[in-house]
Amino acid sequence: MDKTIIISIASMAGLGLFFASVLALVNQKLKVKEDPRVEEIANTLPGVNCGACGFTNCHEYAEALVKNETQADLCRAGGEEVIKRLSAILGVEVTEKVKEIAIVHCGADASRRKKKANYSGIKTCQAVHNTFGGETLCSYGCLGYGDCMKACPFGAITMVKGLPVIDKNKCTACGKCVTSCPREIITVDKIESEKFAYVACNNLDKGPEAGKTCPVACIACGLCQKLTDGVFHVENNLAQVKYDKIKDIENVKEVASKCPTKCIYSF
Amino acid sequence: MIANLVLIFIAAAITHNFVLTYFLGICPFIGVSRKIEQAVGMGLATTFVMTLAATVTWAIYHFILIRFNLPFLQYASFIIVIASLVQIVEMFIKKVSPPLYRALGIYLPLITTNCAILGLTLFMVLREYTFLEGLIFGLGAGAGFTLALVIMAGIREELECCDIPKPLRGAGITLIIAGLLALSFMGFGGLISK
Repeated sequence: MDKTIIISIASMAGLGLFFASVLALVNQKLKVKEDPRVEEIANTLPGVNCGACGFTNCHEYAEALVKNETQADLCRAGGEEVIKRLSAILGVEVTEKVKEIAIVHCGADASRRKKKANYSGIKTCQAVHNTFGGETLCSYGCLGYGDCMKACPFGAITMVKGLPVIDKNKCTACGKCVTSCPREIITVDKIESEKFAYVACNNLDKGPEAGKTCPVACIACGLCQKLTDGVFHVENNLAQVKYDKIKDIENVKEVASKCPTKCIYSF
Repeated sequence: MIANLVLIFIAAAITHNFVLTYFLGICPFIGVSRKIEQAVGMGLATTFVMTLAATVTWAIYHFILIRFNLPFLQYASFIIVIASLVQIVEMFIKKVSPPLYRALGIYLPLITTNCAILGLTLFMVLREYTFLEGLIFGLGAGAGFTLALVIMAGIREELECCDIPKPLRGAGITLIIAGLLALSFMGFGGLISK
């Protein structure tokens, strides 16, 4: 009886020792040197892997940062807070960034959107767009199936009456929605001053045609161009804004209210 | 002899698949079957551990446990073997493919507690396989595990584009698919006895 106990203890201890030494050997051979800062930076980054920095995920960006291959101000998702912490970890200076935000260039909600057909298929914008150019009469505007909402890693987009509404506080300007929209109605733009205005239309058809297609389309009348001395300007039958010059306009809200189809939005 | 080995391989891989007929190793089967590449990585890691575990535990069982009349130690000693092998695999993957290492995450060290592997070694002892049979048994079980994982991952990748009823999304539909897969694998059951 005693013998069994001793043998079992000895054999288990022997096995344990044997495997421990094998592991120690293998560990020496296969050791990976990792900079502790990589883990620290990876934990600082938001970890949503949105790809706005140009790397496939946050971890790869962290590795590139430690190797000094890239700048520390590329993380849009984290905003200033993360950039400050990153520069503290890496010991580099970073200039402050201008706030950026995603903007939806379409103002036709479900009630105002005219249809040329009834669609009953896969319910994503991409699929609808690929099926004979979509069901909407306007071939430029929002389709309303919410691909951008599903693409947003931060829950900043909600679909209200078939139109995406962007939560300014949650939006990090990562640009996921821009690439998810088959009609390219979302852009990411800089907001440099308190005043801001944009054209909520993407229709490049000639004025009268656009007017027939949609009640809130830009009909390229050029009124905003005259009122603002060229900050708004009509190009390709669509009003555009020079975002960096909006601060020169005295009363942005008034310009917006004078637009005959109310397709200029301001805040 | 060779026919016997082939039969053992096919039985372990298909007709008596560890995941889909014995329901062992369900945790990684559900957890790491979202993407095919991850499933392949996990399958290969598990196959490696299974094959080596089968051979090493066979040696330990026959040369130590049987000789000193200590078969009651088989659970403890087998777990030691499996745990060390998993550690080696973990270091190896961390060295060779960091993205795979991060993708597998907690499921990689969890191979240690994967009941499919302990089950494999215990089956091997129970059925009194020879060394070569044990080796083939481990390979077959690993191949079967990889097969099940990859099939599941393939289906789940397709599923991403499907309009699944809301209450079934996530775990619900996954378990239903696992059940259907198990049914189809059990259809082979009568092919080979054992």
